[in-house]
Amino acid sequence: MPTLPFPQLLRQLPAGVATLEGPELRFGFVNEAMYSLVGADAAGQRIADHPGGLPQALLGVLAQVYATGQPYVAKACLCTPAPDAADCRYYDLALEPYRDEQERVAGLLLLAIDVSEQEATRQQAHELSLVTRRLDARLRVLTETAPLITYTLDAQGRCRYASPQWYRFTGQPPAADLTAIWPLLIHPDDRLRVLYEAAAARRSGTGWNYEYRLRRYDGQYRWMLSRALPEVHLPDPPVYWHGALTEVHDQRELADALRRGEAEVRFLADSIPELIWTASAEGFIDYYNHYTTDYSGLNKEDLGPTGWVGLLHPSEQAEGARRWIACVASGEPYEGEYRMRRHDGIYRWHIIRARQLADGPVLRWFGTCSDVHDQYLLRQVLQTQYDELARAHHDLDTFVYAASHDLRQPALNLRGLFDELRRTATFADPDQAQLLAMVDGALTQFDTTLHDLAVTVQTQRAQQDPAEVLDVGLILEEVVLGLQPQVLARQARLDIDVAAAPGLVYGRANLRSVVHNLVSNALKFSHPDRPPHIVLRSYLTPDGEPALEVRDNGLGMTLTDARNPVFQLFVRQHTHIEGTGVGLYLVQRIVRSHGGHVEVASTLGEGTTFTIFWTRPA
Amino acid sequence: MKHIVYISRAVHPLSDRELERLLQQCRRDNVLHGITGILFYSHGNIAQLFEGEPAIADTLFNRIAVDGRHSHVQKLIDKPITERSFADWSMAFHPIEPQGFAALQGFLLPHHVPPAPESLSIADALLVDLVRLAVFGADPSKPAH
Ligand SMILES: Cc1cc2nc3c(=O)[nH]c(=O)nc-3n(C[C@H](O)[C@H](O)[C@H](O)COP(=O)(O)O)c2cc1C
Repeated sequence: MPTLPFPQLLRQLPAGVATLEGPELRFGFVNEAMYSLVGADAAGQRIADHPGGLPQALLGVLAQVYATGQPYVAKACLCTPAPDAADCRYYDLALEPYRDEQERVAGLLLLAIDVSEQEATRQQAHELSLVTRRLDARLRVLTETAPLITYTLDAQGRCRYASPQWYRFTGQPPAADLTAIWPLLIHPDDRLRVLYEAAAARRSGTGWNYEYRLRRYDGQYRWMLSRALPEVHLPDPPVYWHGALTEVHDQRELADALRRGEAEVRFLADSIPELIWTASAEGFIDYYNHYTTDYSGLNKEDLGPTGWVGLLHPSEQAEGARRWIACVASGEPYEGEYRMRRHDGIYRWHIIRARQLADGPVLRWFGTCSDVHDQYLLRQVLQTQYDELARAHHDLDTFVYAASHDLRQPALNLRGLFDELRRTATFADPDQAQLLAMVDGALTQFDTTLHDLAVTVQTQRAQQDPAEVLDVGLILEEVVLGLQPQVLARQARLDIDVAAAPGLVYGRANLRSVVHNLVSNALKFSHPDRPPHIVLRSYLTPDGEPALEVRDNGLGMTLTDARNPVFQLFVRQHTHIEGTGVGLYLVQRIVRSHGGHVEVASTLGEGTTFTIFWTRPA
Repeated sequence: MKHIVYISRAVHPLSDRELERLLQQCRRDNVLHGITGILFYSHGNIAQLFEGEPAIADTLFNRIAVDGRHSHVQKLIDKPITERSFADWSMAFHPIEPQGFAALQGFLLPHHVPPAPESLSIADALLVDLVRLAVFGADPSKPAH
C-alpha cells in the first residue's frame, strides 16, 4: 500500500492549514491557501510577531486554547489578509490543539476556510428579507386600504386570504370560514356559474374575469367584478390565485338600463310604420328600423352607412348628400322634402328630418322619413284649384268692373232722358209727381250701386297699394273736404285729433277709402233730432299699435258680435236710408287684408263707434 | 374587384417619420398587389378606402385590422365594384414639418384631396366625404380641429 503524500495534499488543500508549534506558537507548516492570510514568509515566526490578517479575537484566545487544550471555533470572522488589501474576507477559523507522546499539548492546528461567498450571500439574503418585510408591509397597507377586496385561493379552491374589506363588505366575523361561507354569499342565480368558472380556471391554470352578485352586510346583493390571475413558477402548475373584487353595481345597473332602453327604443322604432334610423356623430347610419327595409326592399347591409341617399330620386341625391354633410359638420338639424324609392320602384314624397341628440358625451343622430306623398298630392291639387279659383275670381272682378262701368253710361243716358222728360213734359196728376220722384230716387240709387261696385273691385285690386309713412291728419282733412257738401247739408261738426299717433304706415288709397266710408256712413246715418257730431281720433293702443276711432252720435245699430262684426255686401242696417251696403264691407275687407281688424260699439238711438286696429288681427 | 372603407384610431399620434414610413411601405406593397385607394390621417384619426381583387383586399384588411399601430378598426363598407375609382394609392395628412413632404410620391395635403371620384356611387361618394369630414373636420386646411 503506497503511502499517501500527505504534505503534498495538505499544501494544495483549498482550506488554509498551519501549525503553531510550542508554547511560543511559532508557525511550522503553512500551506498555500494560508498564504493569503499570513503571508508566504510566516514559517518559523511567532504568531504574536506575525499575526498577518488574523483577527484580534483569535489572537486573544491562543494562549488559553494552548493552556486548556480546548478547541476553539469562530464562524465568519472578518479578516484583513493584507494591510493594503481593499476587500475584507470572511473565514471560518478553528484552533485544534495537538499533543505529544505524553499527551501534553505541543502546539495548535490552525484551520481557515474562506466563507466570503457564503457570507455575502447570507448578508444579501438578510437585506432581501428586510426589503421583503418592508414591501410586505406596504403591500398589506395597500391591499387593506384600497377600495377593493383582495383575496388568494389555492389550487383546491380553498380561500387562503381575504383582505379586511371583505369582512367589512359582507359583515362576516373575522373567524368566519371563508371557503365555506363565500359561496353562500353569492346570489343563488350566479352561484353555480361562478363556482363552475372558478373551478375551470383552476383546472386549466388560467385567470378569470367575471361578474356576480355578492351579499352585502345589509342583505343587499351587489354586482361585483372578480378578476384573478395565477401565481406562476414554471414549470410547476400554479398553486395560488390572487385576485381582486370590485363593486360595479352602479355601472352595471346603468349599462343594463341603457341596454334595456336601447332595446325598448328599437322595439318601438321597429313597430312604427315610418322610416326611422340612427347615425353616429360622424354621420354613418348604424340602425335602420324594419319598416325601412320593408319599404326599400333592401336589407341593412345593402343600405350600409350611407345607402339611404341612393333611395332618393336621382335628381335630388346630390343635394340630399350635400345637406347631410353640412348638417354633420355643423350639428344643425336636417330637414328636407325628397322623393324616396319604394321596393316596387315607385317614388313617394317624404319629409326627412334628423336631429342630433347628446347622450352624455356621445352624440347620435336620430332621423325619420315621413311619407307625405298623399298630402303632397293633395297640396298640388289644392294649389291647382286655388290657382283656378284665383283666376276665376279675377275674371269675375274684371267682369263686374266692366259691367258696372259699361252700365254707368246707359244709366247716365237714362238719367239725361228722364231729366229731359221731366223738363219738357207736364204731369197734372199728383200721383204721377210722386211716381216721378220715385223714378228719380231709383235712378240715383242705381248709379250709386254701380259706382260702389266699381270701387269695390278697384279696392280689391288696390290691395297691392304700396305702404308708406302717411300723415294721418292731412289725409283725414282731405277726406272730410271731399265730403264737404254732405257736412254742410247736415250742419255736421267734425273733430280731428291725431296728436297721439300722427303717422301711420299704410297704403294711401286704402286709408282714404276706409276713412271716406266711415265718415260718409256717420253722416248718412245721423240722428234726425240732432246735428251730427263726428270725432276722428288716431292713437296707439297700450301695446303700441296704431288705431283709428270714428265716433258719431247717430242712429246706432244692433250688433251680433261687437268684437268681430260681420259686414256683408249689400246687407244694410237701415233700409229706410238710401245706400248700397257696400261701405262697411269694403272697410272690413281692406283692414283685414292688411292684417288688422275692425271693432264696433253701438247703442241704438245714441251713436256708434268704429275702431280700426290697423296692424292687429281680431 | 371590391373596395373596403374603414375608420380607426392610432394607438398613439403618428410622427412624421412614422407616417412617411407607412406611406412608403404601403406605396411599395400596394403597387405589388394591385391595391389603389386613399388614406386620411389627422390627430390619430384614420380612415382608408382601398380597392383591389377580392382575395387580396380581404387579406390586406385582415392584416391591417391586427396592425398594432392602430385600434378600434371599424369596417364601414365592403362591397363589389365594377371599376376602380383611384389610379394609385395615396395618403393625406398634415406633416408637422411640411418641407420635403411635397415632393413625396403619393403624399397629399388634406385640402388638396380631390373630390370623391365620379365613378363612385352616390352612397360611396357620400361615405368618402363623411370619413374625410370625420378625420379632418369641416376645414381640412386647418391641421387642428
Ligand atoms: C392605418 C394603416 C394602414 C395601412 N395600410 C396598408 C396598405 O394600404 N397596404 C399595405 O400593404 N399595408 C398597410 N398597412 C400596413 C399593414 O398593416 C402591415 O403592417 C403591412 O402590410 C406589413 O405586414 P407584415 O408585417 O405582416 O408583412 C397599414 C397599416 C396601418 C396602421
